[in-house]
Amino acid sequence: MNRFLIVFLTLLISSAFAHTNEHANLGEQASSIKASGKVFHESISIIRKIHPEFLRHKRDKTLRQGVRTDEYSLKGCVSCHVNKDKTNNQYRSVDKKGQFCSDCHEQVSVSLDCFTCHRTIPKEGSL
Amino acid sequence: MNKTLNRRDFIKTMSATTIGVATVASGITLTTFASTNKVPVTNEKRWGMLIDTNKLTEADIDGMVSACQKEQGWGSELYSTGNQKPGWIKKLKVKDKATGKVSNLALMCQHCEEPPCVDVCPTNASMKREDGIVLVDKHLCIGCRYCMMACPYDARSFVHETLRNQKEHMPRGKGTVESCTMCVHKVDKGEVPACVASVNSDAVIFGDLYDVSSKINQTLKTVQSAQIRADLNLNTGIRYSGI
Ligand code: SF4
Ligand code: SF4
Repeated sequence: MNRFLIVFLTLLISSAFAHTNEHANLGEQASSIKASGKVFHESISIIRKIHPEFLRHKRDKTLRQGVRTDEYSLKGCVSCHVNKDKTNNQYRSVDKKGQFCSDCHEQVSVSLDCFTCHRTIPKEGSL
Repeated sequence: MNKTLNRRDFIKTMSATTIGVATVASGITLTTFASTNKVPVTNEKRWGMLIDTNKLTEADIDGMVSACQKEQGWGSELYSTGNQKPGWIKKLKVKDKATGKVSNLALMCQHCEEPPCVDVCPTNASMKREDGIVLVDKHLCIGCRYCMMACPYDARSFVHETLRNQKEHMPRGKGTVESCTMCVHKVDKGEVPACVASVNSDAVIFGDLYDVSSKINQTLKTVQSAQIRADLNLNTGIRYSGI
């Protein structure tokens, strides 16, 4: 059942990408890393498909076992995929309309729960 | 440059040039996090605190409360009123009825070895780490508040309102229960909890209860100390002396 769900979601997500062709709003750091030719995620298709599993795995390890590595930490995702509003130099929340996270989630109609608890912009005082 | 770097190599390469913040392109910085604790915590340690109520002043306790608020980001909820307000750590006055002696206590989650909150939680959200720190896994908490009823120390509170801009290290959200985490995010980096750091004297000692060379272990061997409601046999990680 889960497999079908993943296939279904992948189809949905790929149609979302087909629609916009490239991700419209990757976030500033992510865009500049991409532009520099460096590869951050080993496979884009895998990170697109199973990013919830990566996060779930990481959240259990961090909270329950105290394993605090960078890999797939939500903080890391936010700090790289966030954008700044050029007019007031403030961060835009990643879950706001038109921003990295909400863009896809809205398109495929999958609710975005992380940010009811997690911070939507990088660390306080890092502006 | 078409060599592909995985994320870790990338971070490694970048942090070779600067520590903490690496410049990716002009004006854009990539924040890297101090990577600590790559291995799971074990039961070879047990974190604890010893609070000396004779040395701890009321001002110290107020300082501990505000240090906790600042570190964890609770206390400025706009709509929660009265008992809805979170309180991870409180100032408590206790009076010995026989002698009339009044002591001021800083009371937070006691990080029980046998935590009733964990016993009653229907979803396993209330949990104890191997090193004795008791936490709420908010991914699993359904907000039933059974744990709040079960805790003998009134250590837990419930988030009643929608929050934004939580601390990066301390996710908090409406509909879940929360309590003192012993600043687990700091402890895992080898630091001490914020409340402990805020006290200038040695009125609060934090450390590994099992480590015979730790200050807390040594002190507990030489001074009289007590657990609050020791009769409940919960073997708390927070100990008090002077009461
Ligand atoms: S003090 Fe309360 S919340 Fe903390 S571990 Fe004990 S029962 Fe649980
Ligand atoms: S409120 Fe959450 S942590 Fe407490 S008992 Fe219920 S599910 Fe468990």
